[in-house]
Amino acid sequence: MIREIVRKELLEIFREGRFRVALLTVAILVVTAIGVGRQYYRQVNEQHEAARRNARSEWVSQGSKNPHSAAHYGTYAFKPKYPLSLLDNGVDKYSGVSIYLEAHKRNDAQYMAAQDQTALSRFGDLSPDFILMFMVPLFIILIAFNSVSRERESGTLRVMMSQGISPWKLALGKWLAVFTPVAVLTLLVFLVGGVLLANLEDFGLFSWWPLILLALVYLLYYGVFINVSILVSASVRKSSLAFVLLLGIWILSCLAMPKATSVVADALYPYPTQLEFEEQIAEDKTNGLNGHDPWNAESKKLEAETLQKYGVDSVKKLPFNWDGYLMQKGEEHEAEIYFKHYQVLKEIYQKQSKVYRTSAALSPFLPARFLSMALCRTDYHAHWHFADEAEKYRLMLVGRLNGDMVDNSRTGQWDYRADEKLWRAVPDFAYEPVRYQSIVEANAGHFLVLLAWWVLSGVGMLVAVRQMKVF
Amino acid sequence: MLEAVNLSKSYNGVSALKGVSFKVNKGDIFCLLGANGAGKTTTINLFLNFISPTSGQALINQVDTAQQPLATKKMLAYIPENLMLYPNLTGVENLHYFSALAGRKYPSAELTNYLNEAGLREVAHHQRVSTYSKGMRQKVGVAIALAKKADVLLLDEPTSGLDPKASNEFAALLKKLSELGVATLMATHDLFRAIETGTHIGIMKEGNLVESMTTDQINHQDLERLYLKHMN
Repeated sequence: MIREIVRKELLEIFREGRFRVALLTVAILVVTAIGVGRQYYRQVNEQHEAARRNARSEWVSQGSKNPHSAAHYGTYAFKPKYPLSLLDNGVDKYSGVSIYLEAHKRNDAQYMAAQDQTALSRFGDLSPDFILMFMVPLFIILIAFNSVSRERESGTLRVMMSQGISPWKLALGKWLAVFTPVAVLTLLVFLVGGVLLANLEDFGLFSWWPLILLALVYLLYYGVFINVSILVSASVRKSSLAFVLLLGIWILSCLAMPKATSVVADALYPYPTQLEFEEQIAEDKTNGLNGHDPWNAESKKLEAETLQKYGVDSVKKLPFNWDGYLMQKGEEHEAEIYFKHYQVLKEIYQKQSKVYRTSAALSPFLPARFLSMALCRTDYHAHWHFADEAEKYRLMLVGRLNGDMVDNSRTGQWDYRADEKLWRAVPDFAYEPVRYQSIVEANAGHFLVLLAWWVLSGVGMLVAVRQMKVF
Repeated sequence: MLEAVNLSKSYNGVSALKGVSFKVNKGDIFCLLGANGAGKTTTINLFLNFISPTSGQALINQVDTAQQPLATKKMLAYIPENLMLYPNLTGVENLHYFSALAGRKYPSAELTNYLNEAGLREVAHHQRVSTYSKGMRQKVGVAIALAKKADVLLLDEPTSGLDPKASNEFAALLKKLSELGVATLMATHDLFRAIETGTHIGIMKEGNLVESMTTDQINHQDLERLYLKHMN
């Protein structure tokens, strides 16, 4: 019986122009977006690869110089573009793609795509995630807002209910009839996206199962909208009212709530401004050990301790290069300062995330959005992970260079030179992205909230259909 | 068999139906007459369990419609005053769908038979219902009722707005069904048809069943006089 309802609903839907136009529009948009996205992805990846090779070759061929000068010369870490970012760009546009790695200083990622854009393109990027997150729910509302109310208005509901059909079956049939075209469209998008990605050269980064998880997240998200649409359609007397109500719900959950939540999160746990942040770090630095200034108080203290430890009376008599040693100690000290301050930022980020997690109960958009970005590795967590790894690499790099100076030269020997052999010996930055397992574990909460949305709105729909008025 | 036992319905304290009792046996055609708002449609809606009674019972084959709404709906067929179908589907598709909802699946040849039996011209079977006249839709409604093989027929002014020929064909169908043992409850304004087709007649006024008789006790003129007496 449910199959008959689905069949009839689909027959009706497909014979109506409204649906064909909507489906065609969404399909064209998605295909265009994926096509454009793939092109963009390839282009960015090529640039990324070229820049990475370029940075390495510049590093290797920087000529012979003092190792600490090489640490000042520095190099770059490039954030890889992940295949699934083709589907959800997340915060990539705003988070920057490369980090300049140098001695004494932790830099932030720079060169964000948003910098190159005009104000117009800030809103409404034609990216698949825009269509999947915003347009498809609208499309669902368009086909489902009158699924019950139309039958009540025209009078077919009377005849239908007089045939002795149970409300559960009716609700399920109506639900499946909306879900089927939406699911087909969604799966098609993911299939096309998957095939396109699987055919890219760097196939290694791509695997199917996060894509399948992502499809599941979106189908759950759409399920919530179908539930709510049918719930409203069954409870409200007029189709026009149902449409207006559902549009209101869409605006609230997809536009207003996310914005309000981010405003609240910022107000509760504000980030320091760039200036404040840098000033705090600078202050800690001046009070601490400075590797380039052997005369400051902390340096003198370290000197005294070291001399005592080795039982000598002058740094010249130490069995290693004191200048390099002091430099490395300074570096380690500064690294601690950076770690401390970035830790504060991270805590703010964690607290804000908690606000988002809490408010996910108010809009299904939020958990879906976070899950989508997380699975595509384009959320802030992925960016933090990259920045932390880059910092680890920077410390290793500077440590190796200072270490070479400490071991292979004597105190005061500033004309010591290392050459390409050393530069080559330092491994290139090989970034291992966050593992999917830890992504899944970290986002299980979002998934449960989305699932709760699905279940509760589903129960609401069943109750509404059970209690609906026939005329 | 259809039975109303002291059936009452009130909306927010306003009585629409005030303790109505009657019985429609196998093969009977009970015609309910009365002005608009007398409670005819309310009575039918109670048998359909589209609304719940405030007190009393609406029984179909001795089963209370309020207790077992799904089971009792399986035993009845219903044709409202203006039977609406899905405009984007054809007559056959509509019949197929509504029959499937009642749990009956027929091969297309049988669906065609039912439509023919209901008097719908064969050329129209595969046209979309959006091109149908009211009479043609009503015929599909009859086909739906026939295909359901129901024991009970609930009709709410089924012939209003039909031309005399269609109305006549409809009456013939009702008689045929009554011979097959179907119990029919029909709300109507058509006194002539009620006398012609019905076996019993009831007159309703302000939620009460004020008159009840068999059609062989009365002729058209007397019925009209009686009816008008109650309306004034």
